[in-house]
Amino acid sequence: MTSSNLYHNSKAQWAVYAVFFIIVLAVPAVIDDSYTLNLLATFGVFAMLALSVSLVWGAGGVLTLGQGVPFGLAAYCMAMTMQMQAQTPDSPMPPFMANNSLTQLPLMWEPFKSTTTGLLIALFFPTVLWTLFGGLMFAARVHGGFVAVMTLAMLSAIGLLVLDIQPYTDGANGITPPNALLIAGHSIDPYSPTAYIIVAVALVVLAALSKALLAGKFGLVTHAIRTDSERTRFLGYNVFLYQTLLFGIAGFIASIAGCLFVMLEQYVSPAQLDVSFSVGMVIWTGVGGRASLLWAMLGALLINAGQTVVGDTLLNTWLLFLGIFFILVVRFLPKGLAGVAEWLVGFFLRRRGPAQHQAVAPAHEGG
Amino acid sequence: MEHMIFSAGFADALLLGLSVASTWLIAALGLTIVYGTIGVINMAHGEFIMLGAYATYVLESKLHVPFLLCLPLSFLIVAVIGLLIERLLIRYLYDRPLDTLLATWGVSIVLIQAVRLIFGSDPLYLSVPNALNQNWQLGFFSISVFRVFILAVTLAVSAAVWLFMQRTRFGMQIRAVTQNRAMAASFGINQKRVYAGAFALGSGLAGLAGCMFGVLNIVLPNMGSGYVVQAFLVVVSGGGSLVGSVISGGAVGELQSIFSYFADDTLALCIIFTLIVIFLRFRPQGLIAPSASRR
Repeated sequence: MTSSNLYHNSKAQWAVYAVFFIIVLAVPAVIDDSYTLNLLATFGVFAMLALSVSLVWGAGGVLTLGQGVPFGLAAYCMAMTMQMQAQTPDSPMPPFMANNSLTQLPLMWEPFKSTTTGLLIALFFPTVLWTLFGGLMFAARVHGGFVAVMTLAMLSAIGLLVLDIQPYTDGANGITPPNALLIAGHSIDPYSPTAYIIVAVALVVLAALSKALLAGKFGLVTHAIRTDSERTRFLGYNVFLYQTLLFGIAGFIASIAGCLFVMLEQYVSPAQLDVSFSVGMVIWTGVGGRASLLWAMLGALLINAGQTVVGDTLLNTWLLFLGIFFILVVRFLPKGLAGVAEWLVGFFLRRRGPAQHQAVAPAHEGG
Repeated sequence: MEHMIFSAGFADALLLGLSVASTWLIAALGLTIVYGTIGVINMAHGEFIMLGAYATYVLESKLHVPFLLCLPLSFLIVAVIGLLIERLLIRYLYDRPLDTLLATWGVSIVLIQAVRLIFGSDPLYLSVPNALNQNWQLGFFSISVFRVFILAVTLAVSAAVWLFMQRTRFGMQIRAVTQNRAMAASFGINQKRVYAGAFALGSGLAGLAGCMFGVLNIVLPNMGSGYVVQAFLVVVSGGGSLVGSVISGGAVGELQSIFSYFADDTLALCIIFTLIVIFLRFRPQGLIAPSASRR
């Protein structure tokens, strides 16, 4: 299958990704306002979430409404790690615990005394949990709207649980570690260029790896599963394995995003496990373009930037228009803004004559 | 003695469970029609419930309509709104079920924000006749009359919906279209009309539920968001049929009440959600699926 649209040329795609990566990494050279830098880094975390949703939904064809589970759990683990960094032998327990009449540090907090262990738990516990959950679903060949509903139920259950065990999580207040993250003796100021660069590098590496993954055999099989899972199964591919792997990878990316979010915000609350936040990720991805990793990330950046520009006073009107806009996108532009870009590129940069040197149209029609 | 108090408390929990079950069921009834029969994943269902509550508020406090009359009126108002949304948006998406989920989520955001801009974010309260505002004392048990009222309305409405689906011409057309679209069309059933009617009916039932939930809780623009997950779990675990929803709604309500008796409300809900996920893992088609070749 060849296409005369430059949009589907894999070299051109990589070139566009490279430009995006360079812009992302070059931001601290242009902007030195620490508040803006922190804000942009947070957007980078949201872009990471959109990337993970785009992997599962756009590439895998499985709509997840529970991406907040790995994100929120990782964020909580990270906040616990950072909170324990502030504890000394004199005050071995975070202050809120005493208010909830605990007399000693609960067992579930013990591993977070060590920063290394805490970070490992934050990265891998949510990933493993999410992979197992995905595995259970895909083993039962649950698909379509059912996955959406089950991930939603899982998210609600975990959100409620975190809210409920107030002595251990401080319930609705959330955890607010007093100090910035300390790694190997270095304190990472959330408002510093260092923090931004950490997020930017993570985003670039994860996006490049995801793109490469989808450009290869894995991406082709995933595409096949998305189009017709039954047929792919008959061709001898282990559909369950591919689906679970993709789901797990997306969970891992969301876990990284959760850790970085707390590094930047020094704050986590059940709002990160709220249904509306997880659906928000789906909206960013859908508006940008679910089938394109890059456009999904751009969708997250654009919507969050818009929300910040509009500000809190007009937030309700903004959300009203965002809702209307989203409805219009679903109704008329199922491919999101990426579809517009695809059409524009095809219209203006049409290749003359029969296409030569065309790469096979990539499984993942990113732009 | 202690044992007696325990069992009395437990019996109380079982009785309360009936009431909890009726709220789960009435919340899910409209969705049973919309999702169970026409396959639209309507994430705005909770907002239709919210609209029912606000419709009741306007009727009661601005137009001084008595509460009992608000029940059918809120049904009608929300049914009309649902019909509008179906005509303007949903009908284009019947072949893209996952997209109905997304589009209706957009609808829910728009409805919440529109209501917030019109009525503000402050909680509103609905009033009910004094007769419904009391508590009944039956030996050990004490239960609010309004909860019994909800139970009665839920049973009556469920029976009415069942009769409607089984005994009326339109109900039969809905079932026919659900079972086999092409066959139904070849027998001259206007499928567009059936879908629009079913969607309006489901929306109206949500409005009716909202009229009662507005009394049970306070009326807020985002009050619906909690109900949509609950309603979906009832419908999906029930299998999409009316009988399935009644059974799963009943079971879930009783279980929640029993778990609440041993733990607290939040934890009970958490356990219920987890159990439903496990249940769906082993029986993805739910309890009682409509005997049909689903699209």
